[in-house]
Amino acid sequence: MGKLEIERIQKSYGDNQVLANISFTVQDGEFVAIVGPSGSGKSTLFRLIGGISKPDAGAISLNHKDITGLRGFISYMPQASSLLPWRTVLKNVMLGKEIVAGKTNEEQALEMIARAGLAGYEHAYPHQLSGGMKQRVSFLRSILSPQPIICLDEPFSALDEWTRLEMQKWLLSIWQQYQRSILFVTHHIEEALFLADRIIVLSEKPAIVKKEVSIPFERPRSEDIVLSKVFLEYKKMIYHELRGS
Amino acid sequence: MRKKLLKGWRPVLVLILFMLCWEFICSSFNVPKWLLPAPSIILQEAITGWSDYAHHLVSTIQLTILGFLVGSSVGILVAVCLHLIPGMREAFYPILIISQNIPIIILAPLLVIWFGFGILPKIIVIILVCFFPITIATLDGFRQTSDELKHYMQMAGANKQQIFLKLEWPYALPSLFSGLKISATYSVMGAVISEWLGSSEGIGYYMTLASSSFRTDRVFVAILFIVILSLLFFLLLTYLEQKVIRWKAD
Repeated sequence: MGKLEIERIQKSYGDNQVLANISFTVQDGEFVAIVGPSGSGKSTLFRLIGGISKPDAGAISLNHKDITGLRGFISYMPQASSLLPWRTVLKNVMLGKEIVAGKTNEEQALEMIARAGLAGYEHAYPHQLSGGMKQRVSFLRSILSPQPIICLDEPFSALDEWTRLEMQKWLLSIWQQYQRSILFVTHHIEEALFLADRIIVLSEKPAIVKKEVSIPFERPRSEDIVLSKVFLEYKKMIYHELRGS
Repeated sequence: MRKKLLKGWRPVLVLILFMLCWEFICSSFNVPKWLLPAPSIILQEAITGWSDYAHHLVSTIQLTILGFLVGSSVGILVAVCLHLIPGMREAFYPILIISQNIPIIILAPLLVIWFGFGILPKIIVIILVCFFPITIATLDGFRQTSDELKHYMQMAGANKQQIFLKLEWPYALPSLFSGLKISATYSVMGAVISEWLGSSEGIGYYMTLASSSFRTDRVFVAILFIVILSLLFFLLLTYLEQKVIRWKAD
């Protein structure tokens, strides 16, 4: 189970107030996307959830347990793949679990690698992989970590449009096999619409939750929905919300 | 391999030309043997005198290896301590630099006064010569650890020990090896210097004897072997480096 609750979080750096008052919930097995203008404190939010820094006020809880300022309770996938260059794909994929649990499960990892379409690359080093493949390995690492919730920080922003679409479809297919709660930060409205069950729109700094939008598309989703009328209406709505008009 | 051969001929050619010039100058100007022996004479001495100096060579190799092992361990240990204990780096950095500003040639006799003629002062000389490049290179390696990777490790819940063992240490290995390679060649020099004072064995001792009896050819034989030993140590470490660090993109 992985229910993440963010309650009235505030954070300032000196006089610079980044998060004004943020509250939202990620239900167990839910895919929630956060969109916001750049500089709206999305990274700060992740630092707080990850326990690297503490909020000035408010609380973060996972399955009703207070995890404010505590590390190791979420699984994380950063913007850059952040694979350790001296580890093979297999060893990298097992790192997340190794850090929290101290032990690894090689069989499970090998199976996941094969299912993710990376068979044959188990013993390759990161510098031998393409950008898209590195991101796949990075996502596998986060899904193989034992934590019930995965936080993804703009994971596909460095990829080109085609690879990005491929990766989104791939992500959904893997996620549907392993139903975990996901919190996904992006500045790409279409990406959020295509992937998420719910979208949380943040305002500019100091950030508040401006709007929460439930996405009506059923799963499994095909890429045709991005051209549908409903999709465009939602896109327009969120765009105006971000623009503040 | 072919590529290496193709590239390698240039320095070899330069070396051969240099030796030929040297030989030519010595023979055509009748330079006395005690002033500057020709390469042919040095080579001859190196061959015929082998049994006279072979045991000196063995002794120097032993001293170098022992000193290098102790020196590099000290170097790595100092780097790890200065890195892991907060504030230590700033506190000790100046003293590290100062330790290198005192000429070893002045310090060596003092060490003999303090620690006698045994192996201890010799090892200390090699440590002093060896540890600095290793400590500085390793510290830089630790410091340059990618922020991105560190951020990931923290977000994933890694504690300080895990960050050090799983991230910073492997990240610093290439830097550590640059330090080790420099120190390996320095350690031969350190061993020879330490043998100049109060020793009855080793290339350094052989060298002092040779120069005080105007056997310049033997001095050059000593120099030849110092160069060969330094190169061998360097190559050995380059080989080890390639074995240990296999993940680097070419």
